[in-house]
Amino acid sequence: EALNNSSQLSSVPLQMLFYVNGIYYIFYFLATLAMIIYKSQVFSYPDDFLAPDLTSLFIMSVLEVLRLYLGSKGNLTEEEAPLGLSLVTTVGSVILSVYFLVWQTYVLKADVILNAVLLFAYALESVLKVTAIAAFVR
Amino acid sequence: VARLCVCDLLVAECDTNCCCDPDCTAADFSLFTTCSVPIVTGDSHLCSQKAAVYSLDVDANPPERIFELTDQVNPSVFCIHSTNYKQALSFSFPEMPTSDNFDQLLKRFGSAAFSAEPDSWNTDTNPSDANETYRYEYGVPVLTADAFLRLPSPVVSSWCSDANPAGFLVNQATKCTRSISLEKCGNIEAVSMLFYVNSSILAVNITVQSVVVQSQNGTRTLLNGSDVLRLPVILDELCINIVLGVSYHITYTDAGEIIEAAASFVLGAINKEALSIQQSFEISFTQVNTQPVPLSGNPGYVVGLPVRAGFRPQGYPFPADILFAALNTNKYNQLTILQSTSSQDCLAAQGARTPVLFGYNMISGCTLRITEAVQCQPLTQTLLDLLKGQNFPEYVASFGNSQAQDVLDWVPIIHIYTSEQSDNDRIYNTLQSSCQIPVSLEIEVKWTKYGSLVNPQARIVNVTATIATTTLKQLPSGRERTIPVTSSVVFTDISSPAEPGYKAWPTINAKLPFDFFFPFV
Repeated sequence: EALNNSSQLSSVPLQMLFYVNGIYYIFYFLATLAMIIYKSQVFSYPDDFLAPDLTSLFIMSVLEVLRLYLGSKGNLTEEEAPLGLSLVTTVGSVILSVYFLVWQTYVLKADVILNAVLLFAYALESVLKVTAIAAFVR
Repeated sequence: VARLCVCDLLVAECDTNCCCDPDCTAADFSLFTTCSVPIVTGDSHLCSQKAAVYSLDVDANPPERIFELTDQVNPSVFCIHSTNYKQALSFSFPEMPTSDNFDQLLKRFGSAAFSAEPDSWNTDTNPSDANETYRYEYGVPVLTADAFLRLPSPVVSSWCSDANPAGFLVNQATKCTRSISLEKCGNIEAVSMLFYVNSSILAVNITVQSVVVQSQNGTRTLLNGSDVLRLPVILDELCINIVLGVSYHITYTDAGEIIEAAASFVLGAINKEALSIQQSFEISFTQVNTQPVPLSGNPGYVVGLPVRAGFRPQGYPFPADILFAALNTNKYNQLTILQSTSSQDCLAAQGARTPVLFGYNMISGCTLRITEAVQCQPLTQTLLDLLKGQNFPEYVASFGNSQAQDVLDWVPIIHIYTSEQSDNDRIYNTLQSSCQIPVSLEIEVKWTKYGSLVNPQARIVNVTATIATTTLKQLPSGRERTIPVTSSVVFTDISSPAEPGYKAWPTINAKLPFDFFFPFV
């Protein structure tokens, strides 16, 4: 069969975005961890403020892995259920990203940049996921 | 930021060269040369912060101050955009202690070092201070219940000052004058026993060890019952029980705690003509379970310290410890010689003796008046007592720190009797039974340098006591004679000069090998 848009429902841009998102997220995770270490050395960072930041980072990484896996699987198998779950997980990731953008103990300019890019990627992904679900359901 | 001014130190006055001082007028600014504080900013880590910039425009006439409120931007990508932690960039206000948080604040801040986690520091403290008693170090004032143990001493002039604290392990003896009058003798507390016994050295009470009463002519008698506190009281125009001297004896352990304190008093009396009395105070420290024997050097004798001497108990040798009795707790039990007094009469000297100090040659004497009716034997005995004293020792310590148990460290005193007679007198006197009376005692102490060349220690090697006798000539009746009696101590250094020691000459150790002359031998 010829590959044309009508018979293939999987969204290529979404898949590309998942791939880029994965690479970017690895970079984001390492950068945020390094910056937390930097902040704890340069500024006064007591333990009861350091703990929530670190736990949020690790929870976010778990959610991210889950989200990307489910989204990729749902996109490739053209099923809406995993894609829907991925969308729900995206909500959690968005909340955590907003935490790192606004409610973190020390928000550096680099943090702002990283999280802004991540949120933009989430937003784009969400839009593409919704259209993909709509295409799969129809 | 605009209100912060570090150089504004004078209140309501203009500080010079302080551009941010609100008390300065434009006329003051025109006199400045520079701005000591050019910029006041917040934390530089922040991405954007307000800054107050002060500068002087010297080109204008008159110079004026320029104040700008700008935003300083930190270009680094790691600048702080915002913080959610209020204490991040500033010092925090300490909590006000209230009855609720006092214990917790005390735990955090009550020790020598603050810590955010006070429990982690507790493991470092010494757990052995379970029974915390007071430990003293040398020189620390001995504490009592209200202040510290006072040893009145003269300050600047000879009047007593009661503010001299007694230092731990510092043996002191002071004498000072106190003004007193008969009418007020009951009111002055520094002359009553109660003042010195009242203060308790922190759970150790001061006990009265002995009370000696000194009479008006100077004789002292020891009282038997020393438990009663005798307070000054006016009796027959005399005020009795005035404290003339206090001697404290403090016993301590080797851990630095005081376990006992005793005081011995000398009480006297004053009459109404007396305006001041002289008080003497003494304090001495003894370690518990030891005998306080002051050393005269360690190990060699120190010039100026008394020569230590003693006796050997009868029945030497013992199989067990051999102890020398009558060791010098009282320094007058040592080697002593007659002390010259102002009245040169020997019998009026009342047995005043002075201890022999190492290295000090001494000579002393007195004169004895005898009449015709004097007997030979008692006279000889009296003179011997005068010369040698009551307890003339048998052994002298070789080193300044010789212990009583080391028999070999003690040098016996050798007695020599000579008689000063010329040959004519001897021939004359052998025909009559004559009386030989001792007239001089010469103690010769031979000492040597012992030990290293750099730090030689003095060691007594030989002590010889020579008693010279002379013949007592019979007097015609009715006439008197005076006999001079002398005693002297001489210290002689018999150390042999140091010999240099050389190393052995090096030898040439050349041996030919066994088969050097092989084909020929």
